Amino acid sequence: MRRLLTLVRVALKVNFGLSVLYHRVFKEKKDIWIVLVAALALIGVFPTLYGYLKLIKGLYGVLQPLGQEQAILTFGLLAGQFLILLFGLYYVVSAFYFSKDLGMLIPLPLKPFEVMMSKFTVILVNEYLTVLAIVAPVLVYFGILAKAGFSYWMKALVVYLLLPVIPLAIVSLLVVGMMRVVNLSRKKDALIIVGSLILITAGLGLQFVLNRSAGSKPDAEAMAKFFTSPDSLLRRVGAGFPPSVWATKALTGGFSGAGLLNLLIFAGTSLALLYGILVMAEKLFYRGLVGIGEISGRRKTLSQAEMSRMISSGRRPVKAIFRREWRIMNRTPIFLLNGVLTVILIPVLFIVMARSGTGDNAFILKAMGSAKPVYIILAAAGFLLISGCLNGTSSSTFSREGSQFWMSKVIPVTPREQVIAKFLHSYVIALVGIAAGLVVVIAVLRLKAAVCVAAAAFALTGAVALTAVGMIIDLARPLLEWTNPQKAIKQNLNVLLALFADLGVLAVLGIFLRFLVKAGIPGNAILFILFATVILLSSFSYLFLLRLAEKRYQEIEV
Amino acid sequence: MLDLQHVSKSYNRGKIKAVDDLSLVVSPGEIFGFLGPNGAGKTTTIKMIVGLLNPDAGTITVNGFDTQKNALKCKSITTYVPDYPAIYDRLSGLEYLNFIGDVYGVPKKDRLERIEKWLDIFELTQAISSPIQSYSHGMKQKTVLIAALLPAPQVMVLDEPMVGLDPRASHHLKELMREHCDQGKTLFFSTHIMEVAEKLCDRIGIINKGKLIACGTMAELKRLNEEQSLENIFLELTDK
Repeated sequence: MRRLLTLVRVALKVNFGLSVLYHRVFKEKKDIWIVLVAALALIGVFPTLYGYLKLIKGLYGVLQPLGQEQAILTFGLLAGQFLILLFGLYYVVSAFYFSKDLGMLIPLPLKPFEVMMSKFTVILVNEYLTVLAIVAPVLVYFGILAKAGFSYWMKALVVYLLLPVIPLAIVSLLVVGMMRVVNLSRKKDALIIVGSLILITAGLGLQFVLNRSAGSKPDAEAMAKFFTSPDSLLRRVGAGFPPSVWATKALTGGFSGAGLLNLLIFAGTSLALLYGILVMAEKLFYRGLVGIGEISGRRKTLSQAEMSRMISSGRRPVKAIFRREWRIMNRTPIFLLNGVLTVILIPVLFIVMARSGTGDNAFILKAMGSAKPVYIILAAAGFLLISGCLNGTSSSTFSREGSQFWMSKVIPVTPREQVIAKFLHSYVIALVGIAAGLVVVIAVLRLKAAVCVAAAAFALTGAVALTAVGMIIDLARPLLEWTNPQKAIKQNLNVLLALFADLGVLAVLGIFLRFLVKAGIPGNAILFILFATVILLSSFSYLFLLRLAEKRYQEIEV
Repeated sequence: MLDLQHVSKSYNRGKIKAVDDLSLVVSPGEIFGFLGPNGAGKTTTIKMIVGLLNPDAGTITVNGFDTQKNALKCKSITTYVPDYPAIYDRLSGLEYLNFIGDVYGVPKKDRLERIEKWLDIFELTQAISSPIQSYSHGMKQKTVLIAALLPAPQVMVLDEPMVGLDPRASHHLKELMREHCDQGKTLFFSTHIMEVAEKLCDRIGIINKGKLIACGTMAELKRLNEEQSLENIFLELTDK
C-alpha cells in the first residue's frame, strides 16, 4: 500500500508538473505570468458561474411547486458522469498506454494493478477538476436552496468524490479489454482509433435508445403519474445512467431508509467496479501494455521506380510542412481522436440529442421558422463556427511538436512560411467541422439553401479569425515539454484559453449585433456590416499571427 | 567557416553561466572536436551555433553570416545532428528525408542519388519505408545523420554523433566526416570519445565550466601540457 501511495504521489506531481512549476515560478521567477493568467481565467469564470446559478435557481423555482426539484440534482450529476464517460476514453487510453514514463515503470518491481491504479488516480483527480464546474455548483446551490441539513452536505461530499468512479471504471474496463485485443495486432494505431470510435458510437447509441424509450409514452396515464410521483422526472432524466438516480436519491432521502440504501448502492457499485478493474489490471493490463509502443515496420527494399515516385523535387516548404502536420496529426491516435474526431463528434452529438429528445427538436424548428432570416443565418453561422473551431487543433499546433520543435528552429524556412502551412492545416480541419455542421443544418434543421450558403460564407470567413486566435495563444506560450501526447492537446491550458477567447469573439459579435438591431438598422444591412466586421477581424488576426511568428520563433529556445 | 566571438549564455537569470566569453574559429576544411565534462557547456554552445538558443552576448557567424541577423542564410548552409534523435517518429524514414529535401530545396536527382548511397552505406535500405517509430536508437541516429548530409551543407554541427551507432556505422561516419572536410567544408562536433577526437580532429577545443580552457592541434595540446595522450590532457585540464 505504501508503494502504491508513493507511486500515486509521484504520478500526480508529474502530471500537474507541480515541482517544475514551483521551480519555474518561485525559484527561476520565469513563468510568473501563469499566476496572472490563472487570476484572469478565474475572473472570466464568474459571469458564466453567475448565469449557471441563475439557471439552477430558475429551474428550482419551476420544479419545486411540482415536487420535482430533485431532477436538478439528477441532471447535474448525469451531465458530469456523461462527460466523463465520453471524454474519459481519451484520458484512459492515453494515460494507461501512451505515457512515456510507462517504459520506466514496467521494469520496476511493481504489480500491474499498482501502475494502473496510479494512472487511474491521476485521471480521477483530473476529472474532479473537470466536473467541478458542472456538478459542484448544482450540489452546493441545491443544498442552499433546499436549506439542506448536515447530512446532505456530508453525503454531497461522498457523492462528489465517488462521482467519476463508476463512469471511469466502466471506460477503464472497456479500454483495458480493447487494448488486450489491439496489442495482438500489427496495426495497433488503426485499431485504437477504430476501437475508440466503436466505444463512443456504442455510448451514444445507448443514450439514444434509452432516451427514446424513456420519452415514448406521452399518454394521459403517464402524465398523471408523472405529476403525482415526486421522482418521476428524475427517473426520466436519469434513465440513461441509473447511478445518477441513486446518487440523487441518496442525497435527498435523508440519513436513513431510502437515502442510506441508495448511498450504499451508489458507493457499493463504485467500490465493486473499482475492485473489478483491480482484478482486471492484474490479469490484462500488462498484456495489453507491454509492446504497445513497438511498431513492427515491414522490412522491404524499395525498387528504383518506387523510390523515384516517393521522392519529390525542389524547394516547397509550405507544402512539405502542411504534409508533415497532416501526417503526424492523423497518425497519432490521441491527436486524431481529439482533433478530427471532435469536429465530427459535435454535430453527431447534436443529431443524437435532437433525434432522441421528444419535443426539443420541434421547438428548435418552430423557433427557426418564426425568426427573421438574418437571425437564422447568424445562428446557423454560429453553430457552424462552433462545429469547426471549438477543438484543440489550432490552439495546440505548436505544442504538439513537443521535443521535436528543434527541427522547426533549424530548418531554413521562414517562421512566416511555417505558420502559413500550420494555419492551412488547422483551417482544413475547421472546414471538415463546418461541413459536418452543414449536414446537421440541412438534414435536421432543414434550412433553405440560400440561408445555408450565407451561413457557410460567414463561418468560412470567421473560421480564419478563430483559427488564428487559437494559434496566436499557442504560439505565445507553447507547451513543448510533455511525456504524454494527451498533455499537448487535451490537458493543454492553451486549448482552454483559446476556447474562452473564441467564445469571447462570438460574444463581442453578439453584442455588436444587438447594438445594430437597437439602432434600427435593416436586416440586410446588419448582415453586410457584420460580414465586413468578420472579414476585418479575420484579416487582422491572420496578419498579427504572421508578425508574431517572426518574433516568437526567434525567442523560443529549446 | 565558423566564427564565435565572446559568446556568453547564462541560465536562471544569470545565476548559472553555461558559456562564458567563448571565442573560437573553425576554418574551412577543418574538423573541430569539442570536448568537455558533462555540463561544461558543449551542448549550449552547439545550440547557439544552430539557432536553438540565443546568446546573451557575443556574435556567431557562419561563412560570414551572422546567426542572429541573417538566421535564414545560416540555416540554409548548416545542418545539425542533436545529441538525442528526437525526430518525427510517425513518419517513415523516407518521408522524413523527403521532408528535409523539400525544406532545403535539394533537386530530385541529387536527392535520389544521395539517399540511395547513404542508405546503402548505413544499411538502412530495407527499413526506409517503415515508420521511424519502429526503428532502434541506432537506426534513428543513422536517419538523422543521412538527413544532415542530404543538403550537402557547407557547415555540419554534430552533438555526440557516435552515440548509439554500431562500430561499422561509426567507422563510415568518420570517413564521411573526413570526406566532407576534404571538400573544403567545415565540421564542428562534440564527443566524449577521446580516441575519436585524437585521431579524427584537425583541432580540438576543451571547455570546462563554460570557459574554453584549451584549443589547438593535438601536437599543440601535447606541447602545452607535457602529457602523452588526449585522455590525460583532458583529465589534467578539467580536474580544476
